[in-house]
Amino acid sequence: MKALLFGTLAAALTAIAWSAAAHHSFAIYDMSQSIEFEGVVETLKMRNPHMALTLVQTKPDGTKQTINFVEGAPANMIVRMGLNPADIAAGKPIKAIGAPRRDDPNAFFLKAIILPDGQTFSVIN
Amino acid sequence: MMKSGLLAVAFATALTACSPPKAGSPPAADATAAQEARPDFSGLWFPAGRQQDPQRPEYTPPAQAALADYEKAFTLDDDPGRYCQWPGMPRAVWGAPFTVEIQQRPQDITIYWEGYGMYRKIYMADHSPPEPILPSVMGHSVAHWEGATLVIETTNLKPYPYMTRMATSSDATVVERMRVEERDVNGQKTKFIVNELVLTDPKIYTTPIKITANLQLRPDLQLLEYTCSDALWDEYLTERGLTLPDMDALPEPGLAR
Repeated sequence: MKALLFGTLAAALTAIAWSAAAHHSFAIYDMSQSIEFEGVVETLKMRNPHMALTLVQTKPDGTKQTINFVEGAPANMIVRMGLNPADIAAGKPIKAIGAPRRDDPNAFFLKAIILPDGQTFSVIN
Repeated sequence: MMKSGLLAVAFATALTACSPPKAGSPPAADATAAQEARPDFSGLWFPAGRQQDPQRPEYTPPAQAALADYEKAFTLDDDPGRYCQWPGMPRAVWGAPFTVEIQQRPQDITIYWEGYGMYRKIYMADHSPPEPILPSVMGHSVAHWEGATLVIETTNLKPYPYMTRMATSSDATVVERMRVEERDVNGQKTKFIVNELVLTDPKIYTTPIKITANLQLRPDLQLLEYTCSDALWDEYLTERGLTLPDMDALPEPGLAR
């Protein structure tokens, strides 16, 4: 239910003015893609105008890969949706949905964060 | 400066002219009634949609040429907001989805936007507004009441030469008409500020642009800090190869060697 409420709020916020909140065009990202990653947060920058984080994913062969979410929602927007920054602090396990940069497939826009209990914070669909 | 001074006089005159005493009622009672009708905009608000007419700005031929040049040279990624340039007036009015705080006093109104940490002063024409000193992105705003509507005229705007983001020149003027409306939201009466603004800039637009922006009263919200330059500073440190010490990783007092 909580996730649903947050989803609704997220949708409302998105509807209000993502274009206004966005400090630049998102055309640099392939927003049609929604790639899910699961891993442990390595670094977190809760900042405006865009948060950023890196996620360390353990691949099936045991090797580790760092996923670089170079931009996401403004920190103020995502905490207003109800996300507690402590839940995505370094060392915390999360799932994250990303859209890759068109010119750099190793850099992603952070479209959504999914906590282990299923709470989802989606800033753009 | 002269323009603003004339405006102040015009507003003060308008204030008198717009409140004619009703026949049969004492002028003092009318003045009191008019003041009581004035809303208090103070509080925490949140953007709640806008409409624009015309949807696509109609440019003068020179501005159209400037737009074409701009679009050739600039990508959508070359955006001033990314470098923490304030959008200023009139763009701030329809704003980004962050809390807006308004503080109203008899002599002025202060608006603080969480997004970009922008603020703006609106001086009341009947309280000896100051003369503008420098052009600014928020401009110089002087207001008067017309019944329950606050009418604000803004001049002395610094040019905003970003053609794809509602550009303005030094000649731009913005007239806003702000009022409070009660609307039903999920069965509850909720206050909204309705701001009908008209941007006039004959150097750039062939017709004035009318925008109606809404703010919903949200006393449940907080005004958060919004430091826009963090990412720029991080980028600079990365370019310089510098790493700041992690203050939170320092040992607790008593554990340090």
